[in-house]
Amino acid sequence: MKSLTVALVSVLLLGMVALSYGQTIVGSEHDFSNKNWNNTGEICVVCHTPHHADVTVTDAPLWNHQVTTATYTLYSSPTLDATMGQPDGSSKLCLSCHDGTVAIDNFGGQTNGNVFIGGNKLIGTDLSDDHPVSFVYDATLASNDGGLFDPTTTPSGLGGTIDQDMLFNSKLQCASCHDVHNGSGVAKLLVKSNAQSALCLTCHSK
Amino acid sequence: MNTKIVATAVILLILMNVLTAQSIVNTVHNLSVSGPGTIKATSESQICIFCHTPHSTSPHKPLWNRPDPGGTYTLYTSSTTDALPGQPTGSAILCLSCHDGTIALGNVLNRSTPIGFGTISILTGRSSDLTQDLSNDHPISFVYDATLATTDGELVDPAVLTNQVQLENGQLQCISCHDAHNNIYGDFLTAPTSYSQLCMFCHTKNYWNNSSHKNSVATWNGSGNDPWFHTDYNNVAENGCENCHNPHNADGNERLLNYQLQEDNCLNCHNQNVASTNILADLSKPYIHDVFAYNTEHDPQEGALVLTRHVECVDCHNPHAANNQSATPPVANGYVQGIKGIDSNGNPVDPIQYSYELCYRCHADTPDKPASPTPRVLEQNNVRLEFDLSNPSYHPIEGPGKNNNVPSLIPPLTESSVIYCTDCHASSGTGAAMGPHGSIYPQILKYRYEKTFGTQESYQAYRLCYECHNRNEIINSGSNFGKKVHKKHVVSEDVPCNACHDPHGISISQGNSTNNSHLINFDISLVSPDPNTGKLEFQDQGNFKGRCYLECHGEKHSPKSY
Repeated sequence: MKSLTVALVSVLLLGMVALSYGQTIVGSEHDFSNKNWNNTGEICVVCHTPHHADVTVTDAPLWNHQVTTATYTLYSSPTLDATMGQPDGSSKLCLSCHDGTVAIDNFGGQTNGNVFIGGNKLIGTDLSDDHPVSFVYDATLASNDGGLFDPTTTPSGLGGTIDQDMLFNSKLQCASCHDVHNGSGVAKLLVKSNAQSALCLTCHSK
Repeated sequence: MNTKIVATAVILLILMNVLTAQSIVNTVHNLSVSGPGTIKATSESQICIFCHTPHSTSPHKPLWNRPDPGGTYTLYTSSTTDALPGQPTGSAILCLSCHDGTIALGNVLNRSTPIGFGTISILTGRSSDLTQDLSNDHPISFVYDATLATTDGELVDPAVLTNQVQLENGQLQCISCHDAHNNIYGDFLTAPTSYSQLCMFCHTKNYWNNSSHKNSVATWNGSGNDPWFHTDYNNVAENGCENCHNPHNADGNERLLNYQLQEDNCLNCHNQNVASTNILADLSKPYIHDVFAYNTEHDPQEGALVLTRHVECVDCHNPHAANNQSATPPVANGYVQGIKGIDSNGNPVDPIQYSYELCYRCHADTPDKPASPTPRVLEQNNVRLEFDLSNPSYHPIEGPGKNNNVPSLIPPLTESSVIYCTDCHASSGTGAAMGPHGSIYPQILKYRYEKTFGTQESYQAYRLCYECHNRNEIINSGSNFGKKVHKKHVVSEDVPCNACHDPHGISISQGNSTNNSHLINFDISLVSPDPNTGKLEFQDQGNFKGRCYLECHGEKHSPKSY
């Protein structure tokens, strides 16, 4: 009986692992290998390079794309308790395409690209109409706000706590909700499904 | 085994957490297909999407995903409000983007076509539709600061507000009372409304703590209209403010009353369906303070001296103050606590200390006051002047009477007693509520008081007088006075008391202690001057002695002494 339970649980867990990590960037919206503005035919090269990477952004992983220098209009709200700052960390890397100030084909040292992001993927430099990023989300913020879960103790649904799985140096970034490499296979490159607003309600205690 | 217990405990804890945690998921604001309400999307599973989106939001915070209703709203106004509500601002616009009934619930910014709903896709015409007429809703989008609290006088300083009433940029908004994400108290309120807990965070009504409307545990007997049609509470105290007020879609816009007609707010309970007495029945009698005849004349802002003739329940009763505490005349009892009046010197007072000060609002210096029912030698319809303690005679309303020898008084009344106006002017009938609501007798008298010549004397015919003045003493006393004067006139000649006595009193400005002691002021419709002397007067000669010059029913006194 006990061994049967163990077996069942193991199968379930394995299944979840497979689901979580079974998807890849290949064929995703971030697979630019067949775009006419990417004559390398490669996938990773648009963002990464193994050598001579751009290190202007702290902890940028072997960065190969021109980095935005824009100044952003930040989100504000009377009910916002988080302390806002200009985008930093990986969010700045995302905005290096999505703010529309840097050509998406400005990678590998190229700076004269002329293809820009558009449509609903263009975030722009006005972030006042976007969910805030690059703010510290810790137990203190959760306590002050009253409508947020404590990230250090609340499960993310991805295996660990919110802090472990979704925050970066305790900060919420674009990558908290989005997995640029499409690890989960969820539409809009979300880190997990937002059916029943499950992604929102991971952090928001509403 | 231990592992099992731990596992079970963990599961139970998680379950309890889920069950007790208040989440939008379990409320009717979960408009997704998983929502518990009847109004919901046919297939959309996301919950937040009906109001919020992470990107490309409306300019409104927080991360708003709905179009603006636009349009101009009709705002709340009242003669007593000091707040200045403006067009909805801030988060109020967000609430109204569903709750003004103009925008479909599924109409969100981040979808090119509206999210599909079942048969109900918009709030139009439902109880949750506030419409664009906000004149019958609690005001919002006004600055609520210490200045407002001071100016109003019945609001707390917002600095002391707890988290349960939050202002937005210093303004009161929908969110001050409602938390759209949390419905533990019903109607998404931020605190319970039983005993008006939520209202009381801001409103501090004078006198309220001792008011019957705060403290009574009377219940509805189930007859007639449900007096508490917009609450789930079962007695007066629990309903508190909502006994009379309705914060949304109120029928009586100004002051958010349950009913537009002022008296309807009172008589739905004071018809013995909740209250122990039936004021509605009293007001169905022929002689009433006719609260039904006036609809818009009353204004709480009016001065203590009523200048435009009218009467509403709230002219005499302060519903925030009234209670059933008794008092000793002339001190005002609980029923007329906290009401304006005119004092014995003709000056406004708020609140009254003495009961008669309330009556003086309308029956004293008011230009449009009722005329005297009886024409008299000395005409006076200002009752304040009639009861003045410097008068030659008066019924003891403001203080003890002038005459220190009144053998007819029935104990416990004595010559030093003081009585209320309402000892004579009150609703007729056994069990009627105190106070002059309605009577089968003219002048809203409590008992019969005949005023016509030819009335056969009986206890009933002059019961109003005989309730206090012993009939036997009046008409049968062995004294010369009783037999010669009272019995002769009232019993033998069928002359009413009112022919000689002016029951209120005779003003010192008109009368004197010789001619007008003992409330003597003849009814000139019955009594005329003595043709021999031309005089029409009484002369007091002390100690049950006096003489009269007059002609009455053909009888001439030129003079006649006793």
